[in-house]
Amino acid sequence: MIELIDVRKRYRLRQVLKGVSFTIRKGQITCLIGVNGSGKSTIMKAIMRLVPIQAGQILIDGKPRSGADLYERVAFIPDRLTMPPGMKLSDAIRFMQEYHRRWNEARSRELMAFFRLDASERIGNLSKGMAAKFNLVLGLAQETDYVLMDEPFAGIDMFSREQISKVFTSDLMEGRGVLLTTHEIGEMEQLLDRAVFLRDGVIVRDIDCERLRDEMGKSVIDVMREVYAP
Amino acid sequence: MAGLGDFENVVFDPRVPVYLQVVRHFKELIATGRLRSGEVIPSRRELAAMLNINPNTAQRAYKEMEEQKLIVTEGNKESRITTDEQVLRSVRSELIESEVEAFVRAVRKIDVPLEELIDLLQRKYKELAGG
Repeated sequence: MIELIDVRKRYRLRQVLKGVSFTIRKGQITCLIGVNGSGKSTIMKAIMRLVPIQAGQILIDGKPRSGADLYERVAFIPDRLTMPPGMKLSDAIRFMQEYHRRWNEARSRELMAFFRLDASERIGNLSKGMAAKFNLVLGLAQETDYVLMDEPFAGIDMFSREQISKVFTSDLMEGRGVLLTTHEIGEMEQLLDRAVFLRDGVIVRDIDCERLRDEMGKSVIDVMREVYAP
Repeated sequence: MAGLGDFENVVFDPRVPVYLQVVRHFKELIATGRLRSGEVIPSRRELAAMLNINPNTAQRAYKEMEEQKLIVTEGNKESRITTDEQVLRSVRSELIESEVEAFVRAVRKIDVPLEELIDLLQRKYKELAGG
């Protein structure tokens, strides 16, 4: 379980996170929902210690995060590929292999084949959809207990989205705790266990999706409208 | 035998628990004979992948079907449709009854006399079955 407890983050004068608390559980897919600029990416970066926080705690399985250990337990897939465009995919994979102790080579080959990616291609030549898929390969081939995915579906075509959503039901995700942000909530809805809604720097709703349907007869999108209606 | 197509392209209502919709889908397959007595069904993970649903939801649907004695799972082996004929027969009547009930509730709101309704029902039934 990753626990965020009263996390506060300020960018200069702008208080982005005003006391964010929620948990990411193993074996569950949790979706972090919020409008653009609400701090979704900041939360992921805070978990990964890529940005400092001013207050609050982030615990992984009950313990504070420490440098190297963090990368062995949590994989972060940012909203765009961060590898240099001149690199070949095979070079990027070799880099990951050296950098990440939890890199699983067989899994990376499996993912490359699943997404039909050519390892001899250069990163700069990838289409948007291909780059998004390769970005996933780099994240998911790490054998970590948790995966954070920032907008894995943004700006890519329907068929690629369908292919990517297949990953969530595969054994690649079995037992892992997944946190993702997305704007394509409609298509994703039946894949989610939980949805947490971020507004004005705090979590305003934290729901179990099946219970929401069972007890309220509502969809996640219904709640989205309630939370973000102007 | 149920084909792959029977587990794909299922459209879910986002406001109804997914696991209940999965159970309902299995009942339809049983009632129409596409899933037969004793037939092996996909594993939970296979089903999740085919229906594009959360694996925990597939697990919950199977648990629900086990409780309703629609399927049986022996130890770590694959799950099968029950061979209990009485259960299988009741699936069909349960589905028909619940649909008819929903229909009656809907038309009662418009105060249609039963005679007229039966007439209309017969006509529409032939029309739709013929088309």
